[in-house]
Amino acid sequence: MRRKSATVIAGVCLFLAAVPVWAHHAFDAEFDAKKPVKFRGTVTKMEWINPHAWIHIDVKGDDGKVVNWMIEAAAPNALLRRGWTKTSLLAGTEILVEGFQAKNGTNRANGSLITFTDGKKLFVGSSGDGAPPNSPEK
Amino acid sequence: MSRRLLVVLAAVLLVSIAVAGQTPAPARQTAPSSRQTTPVPKTATKSWTQPKTAWGDPDLQGTWTSDDSIGVPLQRPASIGERLVATEAEIAQREANITRQSQSDEQEFAAPNARVGTGPPGHWGERARRPSKQTSLIVDPPDGRIPALTSEGQKKQADVAATRVGAGAGGRPAASWEDFTYYIRCITRGVTGSIFPVIYGNGAQIVQSPGYVTILHEMVHEARIIPLDGRPHAGPNIRTYMGDSRGHWEGNTLVIETTNFLADKTGIGLNGGGTPTSDALRLVERYSRTDANTINYEVTIDDPKTYTRPWKVAFPITQEPGYSLFEYACHEGNYAMVDMLSGARAEEKAAEEAAKQKK
Repeated sequence: MRRKSATVIAGVCLFLAAVPVWAHHAFDAEFDAKKPVKFRGTVTKMEWINPHAWIHIDVKGDDGKVVNWMIEAAAPNALLRRGWTKTSLLAGTEILVEGFQAKNGTNRANGSLITFTDGKKLFVGSSGDGAPPNSPEK
Repeated sequence: MSRRLLVVLAAVLLVSIAVAGQTPAPARQTAPSSRQTTPVPKTATKSWTQPKTAWGDPDLQGTWTSDDSIGVPLQRPASIGERLVATEAEIAQREANITRQSQSDEQEFAAPNARVGTGPPGHWGERARRPSKQTSLIVDPPDGRIPALTSEGQKKQADVAATRVGAGAGGRPAASWEDFTYYIRCITRGVTGSIFPVIYGNGAQIVQSPGYVTILHEMVHEARIIPLDGRPHAGPNIRTYMGDSRGHWEGNTLVIETTNFLADKTGIGLNGGGTPTSDALRLVERYSRTDANTINYEVTIDDPKTYTRPWKVAFPITQEPGYSLFEYACHEGNYAMVDMLSGARAEEKAAEEAAKQKK
């Protein structure tokens, strides 16, 4: 177990080292790796905006109070190339989200792992040839 | 990969090395070498003829992407030495990675052991479609490494490390948006940053008209308008992030020379990272179409105030079915900037309160 953790940590470190080159912004400047979050929420809207799309979800807390969270997703252009459209994630859809909360303490988090409630991935699809799966060009 | 192709690649590499061996280290004032060092056969496919525009220029129009070089390191690991061409085993490994990635992308369900990591999630990335045959994007110097910095370059590199929060661990908290790179600020990635392959947004559309070539880069929404009529560069007081470009044809190759850059904005790295270049930067780019769907792209970087010698980066860009540019209105929802600045203030406040409690 300990060995496995060490491997995971080493993997994470390598990944972090690669982040400056990869992402549009620094994970560790925006989100807090010490504040992992896990939600089941209902989509209220999806913002198709650059440089990253954001999914808004209503999350019911243990006290029954509903709180709106914003979850960061991929760049909209990358999602389009995966075959996503404006209607791929409609308001009212229930999703599961795992990620890390923003350092500023607001209800924002990155979406490391986002699935439907049955475990199906939200962002299935390859950006392989740049065309949506049912695109006429294909 | 076929044996024949390997033989061709090896021959190209040998010729490159031979040429490099005969060439003395470039004097600071010399124009960048125009020798070909791209490890891809330069000869056009036999069955293919370079198309021409209605007015007779070589036709490079289309939407091109550097996706196939995603993940190829800018600098070659020192252990590989002067070997520019990937081995058959390395290429097979890249091919296997592409297949595995594609299978993972198509998987309907999240893997039960899916890790919730802090790196960019898998669905953020666009993908290479075929394995790169290069061990590094840098093809000259022969070791594939960025040349030594001048003393001025070293000072700039140290300044960047000391003052920018940039990205990654160990940076100081951001005091202002000005602490972030021009890319994070949605301003520009510079000329080379706009075409070097990164995890997404690698598209460039080439549009031609009589006397002009225009290159549109998806990220960060750049439009380079390049006159071909031989007019002189703008005066030395006119300086921009993307410089002042002039183009001409050498056979079927489009050659673009760019000068008049602003100093200390972007570097010659992925997304415009790296040591910021100076106002002496001169870029010479070469676009050579080798078949219907491939252009060999090369850029020679000459910045005598920053680097002790010119150096060259090369990789292929390709046209892909259904691939087109999308709008990249970068700042329309740059919540990350707000989050990063307010996150830094929240951390400062927490530290202050912790210090008070200690007293």
